Amino acid sequence: MIDLEGLVEPHRVHRTIYVDPAIFTAEMDRIFGGAWVYVAHESQVPEPNDFVTTRLGLRNVIVTRDSDGELHGLFNRCSHRASTVCQHECGTARNFQCSYHGWTYSNRGELVNVPFAEGYPAEFDRAAHGLRQIPRLATYRGLVFATLNPAAPSLIDWLGPAADLIDEFVDRSPTGRIELRNRQRMIYRGNWKLAWDNAGDGLHPTFAHRSFLVLNERHHGGARSLSQFKANPDETGMYGDDLGHGHMFVDQRPGLSRSFWETQRPVPGREWYADRIRARYGESSAEVLEMAPGSMMNLSIFPNLLIKGNHLEVIDPISVAETRLHTWVAAAAGAPEEVNVLRMRIAEDFPSLGNPDDLELFERCQEGLGIAEIEWVDMSKGLGHPAQQILGNGVQRGPVTHEGPMRGYIRAWLELMQAEPPRTVAGPGRVACEVAG
Amino acid sequence: MVSTGTSIEPRPAAPAPTEPHSAVDDLLYQRLSELAATRAADSGPSYPDLRPAVEQALYHEARLLDDRRYRAWLDRFTDDCVYWIPLDLDGDPREQISYLLDDHRRMTDRIGLLETGWAHAQNPPSRTSRIVSNVEAWPLADGEIRARCSVVTWEYRRERLTPFVSRNDYVLAALGDEWTIRIKIVGLVDCDGDVRKFSFVL
Repeated sequence: MIDLEGLVEPHRVHRTIYVDPAIFTAEMDRIFGGAWVYVAHESQVPEPNDFVTTRLGLRNVIVTRDSDGELHGLFNRCSHRASTVCQHECGTARNFQCSYHGWTYSNRGELVNVPFAEGYPAEFDRAAHGLRQIPRLATYRGLVFATLNPAAPSLIDWLGPAADLIDEFVDRSPTGRIELRNRQRMIYRGNWKLAWDNAGDGLHPTFAHRSFLVLNERHHGGARSLSQFKANPDETGMYGDDLGHGHMFVDQRPGLSRSFWETQRPVPGREWYADRIRARYGESSAEVLEMAPGSMMNLSIFPNLLIKGNHLEVIDPISVAETRLHTWVAAAAGAPEEVNVLRMRIAEDFPSLGNPDDLELFERCQEGLGIAEIEWVDMSKGLGHPAQQILGNGVQRGPVTHEGPMRGYIRAWLELMQAEPPRTVAGPGRVACEVAG
Repeated sequence: MVSTGTSIEPRPAAPAPTEPHSAVDDLLYQRLSELAATRAADSGPSYPDLRPAVEQALYHEARLLDDRRYRAWLDRFTDDCVYWIPLDLDGDPREQISYLLDDHRRMTDRIGLLETGWAHAQNPPSRTSRIVSNVEAWPLADGEIRARCSVVTWEYRRERLTPFVSRNDYVLAALGDEWTIRIKIVGLVDCDGDVRKFSFVL
């Protein structure tokens, strides 16, 4: 039993939450089992019998769409001797056969064949030996979430005010749908919460991304991507929200001096594709071009989904001091082809120019956290400040450099960690996927 | 005193390069797709007569990068160049993100970022050594040369030695002392796996 008392104070957190393997193990159980966790996007399994492999905390999972179009979350573990039954990242399959002893499962998880069936005891019940399932799966606007916690609130209640912001992000597509394309995977040597903290941190860009800011000033001048962080960002109207349940939102949009397109850094193909859009869409071309740049929203759905730019970035913890980040790019379904070509080049831009500096700083933090005698990590900026306000929907809002969003999530973290929520694994059979929106 | 590697000289805030236009258009993407198809097909035996001049260019390029003479490296690229590190070797870059797909302007930005002196991921800087091998070359139309080689780039930074293993493809616009590159593709063998963030030029 780990003692969480005293690790979280209103203005600071104890270093052990980043470095203690016992706390990490508990997190994988209570948070990445007890909360709703993002596992996949419906566009990864568009057709019947499509599947995608993913992780729920450290658990290897297959999200399938069966022949009737229903979604299932199957644990990628043979009921016989525990081998994973699916080795592919995605694909189309009606059945999964274990390579070890040939047990075969349908994409609903039912055990459909056991070779040389003669010899099993009379009480061997094939129906009880299907692939185990995630007991609760739910979707919101194409995002698929899973939890092992039967007592978790409904997904829509869990998302709360974050749901409207997901709508804003998705509705930048003319069809109201996004389509995930490919992803970049990278590893850093640090705790998963360093990436999480950073996503709600409007104080760091001015310093952590100074190379990017200075570069843009020198080469492209004027108001370009992130330039609203050059001087005091709190004078731009940008804000940070504690949305409840640990969700965070940093809104960069109020900091824009001109349109998304005009302030977008030039990327390869900018001129040719913009000319083509202007030629094809005439008066509405300015509106079309606005779909290409990132959303300027940093919406973080606790505990593992960072919606930013045109990305879904998924935090995938490996161990207490190692984390994998999956950066999926979202195309705007139904948008002109040129928009999505530009989206691809724009979606590479900050990740390759700016993110290395973030990852470097996460690793430096993890190193600093190794000093046992220096116990506390400060997150007090804005605490009790008069500029912090509570909105009608319960959202706590403050200037963008305040650390309110972080203080909010760490409270949600503590609540989940202390509650020790019930976790269950469903047996074989149908689990109805909830559709929240 | 042990050298931590030559630092890139931080440059003063002036003069901004004037590269207002991108050469990337649909035709250039088509060319990349054709090149990918050529790469996938069996090109047959290479042209050994071309090899010494191609090796001279590729070794020189490796040396410029290992020595972090990035401006000199940039000068070896044509104005309409593409520098591409795919995440999916068979994918169409119009439909997918890459690790990077740069034109001359974004390459200049990438170098400019390092020159600000504020790129934390290069403080301290990486030290690298590139082993370039299996060099093969084929003539293309209009005097261009297609080249392929295997490369292992060893990067040392902050107590870690990390190999980046790739099969590189080039379209060279000229050979000899005035060699120039039109297209460079770095095909990392683990491009769809866990790629460590790298902030030096690969």
